[in-house]
Amino acid sequence: MMKKWIAVLGLATAGFAVSSANAQESVKIGLTGALTGPVAGTYAPAVEGLRLYIDKVNAAGGVDGKPIELLIQDDGAEPSKAAANAKRFLTQDDVAMMINSSLSSTYAPTIAEAKRNGVPLLFAASVCPAEVFPPADPNLFCTTAFGAKYDSRAALGFIEGKSGADVKLGLHAMAIPVSRGEIDFAEELGKEMGMTPVSKEITPPPTPDYTPFATNINNADAEWVWSWAPWVAQIKTFEALRRLGWEGDYLAYAHLEAEGELERVKDPEFFVVGANALFSEGLPVMADIMSAAEGSSYPANQMTEGWIAGMVIEAALKAASDPTSAESVREAMSNISVDMQGLRGGPLEWTADNHFRTQQNYRVYRWNPDSESIETVQDWTPFDVQ
Amino acid sequence: MQFVVNIMVLAAIYALIACGYVLIYRVSRVLNLAHGELMMLGAYLLVATASAFAASPLMAVVFAAVMSLAVGGMVYLFLMRRMTGETVLAAVLTTVALGILIRGLIVLFWSAQQQHPRAMLGWDNPVIVLPGDARISLYSALLIVATVIVYGGLFLFLRFGRWGIRMRAAGQNPLLAAQRGINLHAVFALAWGLSTFTGAIAGMLIALDSGLDSTMTMIGLKAFPAALVGGLDSLVGALIGALIIAGAEVGVIRFIDPLLADVVPFIVLIVMLVIRPWGLFGTREELDRV
Repeated sequence: MMKKWIAVLGLATAGFAVSSANAQESVKIGLTGALTGPVAGTYAPAVEGLRLYIDKVNAAGGVDGKPIELLIQDDGAEPSKAAANAKRFLTQDDVAMMINSSLSSTYAPTIAEAKRNGVPLLFAASVCPAEVFPPADPNLFCTTAFGAKYDSRAALGFIEGKSGADVKLGLHAMAIPVSRGEIDFAEELGKEMGMTPVSKEITPPPTPDYTPFATNINNADAEWVWSWAPWVAQIKTFEALRRLGWEGDYLAYAHLEAEGELERVKDPEFFVVGANALFSEGLPVMADIMSAAEGSSYPANQMTEGWIAGMVIEAALKAASDPTSAESVREAMSNISVDMQGLRGGPLEWTADNHFRTQQNYRVYRWNPDSESIETVQDWTPFDVQ
Repeated sequence: MQFVVNIMVLAAIYALIACGYVLIYRVSRVLNLAHGELMMLGAYLLVATASAFAASPLMAVVFAAVMSLAVGGMVYLFLMRRMTGETVLAAVLTTVALGILIRGLIVLFWSAQQQHPRAMLGWDNPVIVLPGDARISLYSALLIVATVIVYGGLFLFLRFGRWGIRMRAAGQNPLLAAQRGINLHAVFALAWGLSTFTGAIAGMLIALDSGLDSTMTMIGLKAFPAALVGGLDSLVGALIGALIIAGAEVGVIRFIDPLLADVVPFIVLIVMLVIRPWGLFGTREELDRV
């Protein structure tokens, strides 16, 4: 009887050892993202870009001979689903890193779960939370291009450079906390710079017709409008303004849809400011993305955010002494510099104190009707992140 | 003048969507919470037909509208028919599940990307200048025209059409209607088809005017207060309810605070529920049956 129990115990131990060995063969990363639901258009293309980048790394042999296993779960931008996804990644899958590519309403549960389990959490394509800016939370990191307050500084700086400070400024946000907070900041900043904010429109996320909001901006005689909101709200407000006969200049944040939309709208007074280079630059890395994106549901020019996240993840895993250990990966992420190959205005650097980036660079683009192409209106403008 | 035009456009959107809620509720007493998704599906069907009938844009629109009618009928025949005899709550929950399914299928087939069916069809959206320097886009104007045609058509159909009279009879007393030889399943399928058709018309015109993305499903829900304020079993009520909700929303945006635009339809709804829970033109008896 005793021998039988020893044999069973031996088999169980062997089985555990085999499963541990299998687990160590790959580096597991869990991603919870808004792949369906009303806001999926903002996140799904970036997640696809990240997946394609990870496929590329794996095709080249992985990290230290270990393939990266990217586990993707849809949360539909719902906090409860994001929490369930995070729990699963941390308790069942034993991931070395977790990624959030979803609405800010999903942050609280994922941050709490990641912190409880000591696994680093990366925000990719989702808005960077305040905790990644100096002094940064040791567990939270962000690769997303847009950055609260820096975006408005860059935007209003551009407007000042084009038209001086004596302008009537219209402001537009969506009725979500992060967008409203940024536009409130822009309003105060505009006043400090000598601009005159004449209209501030906050549109609800589901808006059947943007014309009533645009009418207010038009009636206020705004010369410039700065819009910082999800792309759908930015572009629909602009198009409603044009339909009303408004002839001012409009500056929007260059979300991942920007390039295709500049080509569609073809309006020379419609500018976009952003931290990612557009594909009109024709960089070699963009050819790589286009090649990887062949046959995908999304255009390559919407995958930059995901590709950049992939570059940073690869660099962090390579720098980690043990890429399967969350602690080791977090340590590597806290001191890293990744060459963006022109996709951004400089390298993405994280320090122990700064998990956003040490320098944020912005470029401004518009459609040039003469050359029938997108042109750079203002080259990389740096802002030190303190 | 622009203020009035803005109200008319928003009211047309809400009215066109709300009549779908009313049609189904009036005939089968089911609250279709997948109406927003069915409306969005109609708009995505236009994207599909725009690719298939690139040389004949009008054909693409007609084909998408007919397909929407068929989809509505099939939803009843293959899904909601199975709910016959079940509780109203079970039927309503089935529509919730249907909505989730449609949202997932749309992402699978068309991805989450924003679509521009107007550009695919090669159409422009010229601006029409009205007296008082008010402006309206062509497709916004068509939304108003479509609302007038749909409501006028439904009025004539329900009042004088053979199937319209059958629909009214089935709505008033299904048992008696069945005993008189009316095919209830055919009537309900027609109601679902017409509801999806009118919703799809709204979805297609909104998409042609300003593009299509997955937030459209939430627009469908925003029209719900219009149907409730007017009375869930009254088409005239849906029209008046849409005007009230649109007027309140545009008025708040213009004169008080744009931030309140999202909540004001529900404030109006709550006030109505307190004063007259069955809506402006609804009947008390109908509410008791809910």
